[in-house]
Amino acid sequence: MVSIVLFRLLLWLLLTADGSGINLAIGLLVAVLLPRQRLAPDRLRDWLQVLGKIAIAIPMAYIEAIEIMIWPHRHEATIREPVRPNRSAQLVFLDIFLITFTPKTIVSHYNEAGWYDVHQIERSSRQP
Amino acid sequence: MKLAIEWFGNLCLIGGTIFWLWGTVQLLARRSVLFKLHGLSVSDTLGSLAIVFGLLVRIPAEWPLLLLAMISLAVWNTMLGYVLAYCSSTGGDA
Amino acid sequence: MLEIILIATILILLIPIYQAFQTEDIWQKMLAFSSISSKASIIILIVSVLRDDWWIGVVAVIILSVGNAGLMLLANVLKRIDH
Repeated sequence: MVSIVLFRLLLWLLLTADGSGINLAIGLLVAVLLPRQRLAPDRLRDWLQVLGKIAIAIPMAYIEAIEIMIWPHRHEATIREPVRPNRSAQLVFLDIFLITFTPKTIVSHYNEAGWYDVHQIERSSRQP
Repeated sequence: MKLAIEWFGNLCLIGGTIFWLWGTVQLLARRSVLFKLHGLSVSDTLGSLAIVFGLLVRIPAEWPLLLLAMISLAVWNTMLGYVLAYCSSTGGDA
Repeated sequence: MLEIILIATILILLIPIYQAFQTEDIWQKMLAFSSISSKASIIILIVSVLRDDWWIGVVAVIILSVGNAGLMLLANVLKRIDH
């Protein structure tokens, strides 16, 4: 609950670029009053792991981009990956986000039964 | 020192523009939609992030709004990529 | 320096516009349109820095932070029609 309010307050402050008391109060009021869904409780460790992965994903994405610029990746393949168990909707969203953010891989289908289809490009064609 | 920072910003701008050019040219090829999406994620997400970062180095006073622009650029473009990939592929058990 | 970048980005913007006119396939058109919209808002940001008029930049940031909701909806509608 608290994390959602803090996140909204952060967006508000970035958008208004004004740290004065009145603006802070308005932002806090908006953040608290906006309706929110009930979040399933997550383990803190999972969240910390995801945050660490985001920090790695940004330079990784640039490395992959430069890789596919230098060596052409002409082949494409779709692989099916299992979703890790006990993931809440928010964590699944972040997982999909991270996979899609890196340029070599895109999630093209998510099934609630517990897997997603990942489309990726490769340098050499995969043996069937 | 100031000159070095300025050139770092210029480097980001030039690099972002090169990413744009490379990723957008992929649109003209005869490939599948999904294949082109990989190129577009290079240009429209990563290239644009580099350009906005280059602008940020140029005018650091406006960092809150430019940071918001970078965050929303990354989030929305990635989500649009997923939505386009999901909607254009009619495989699986859709 | 920034002028050169601006001209280069506008020239690159012409590529997806050309592709949107030229292709027949609706999904290729959607790709081109998504590319046009994000590129246009980045160009607005560059123009705002070039002209040193931050109010233009605020417009670009608002466009970016609202996102391409229209294109996402359109993609879902097209998927429904296809089936």
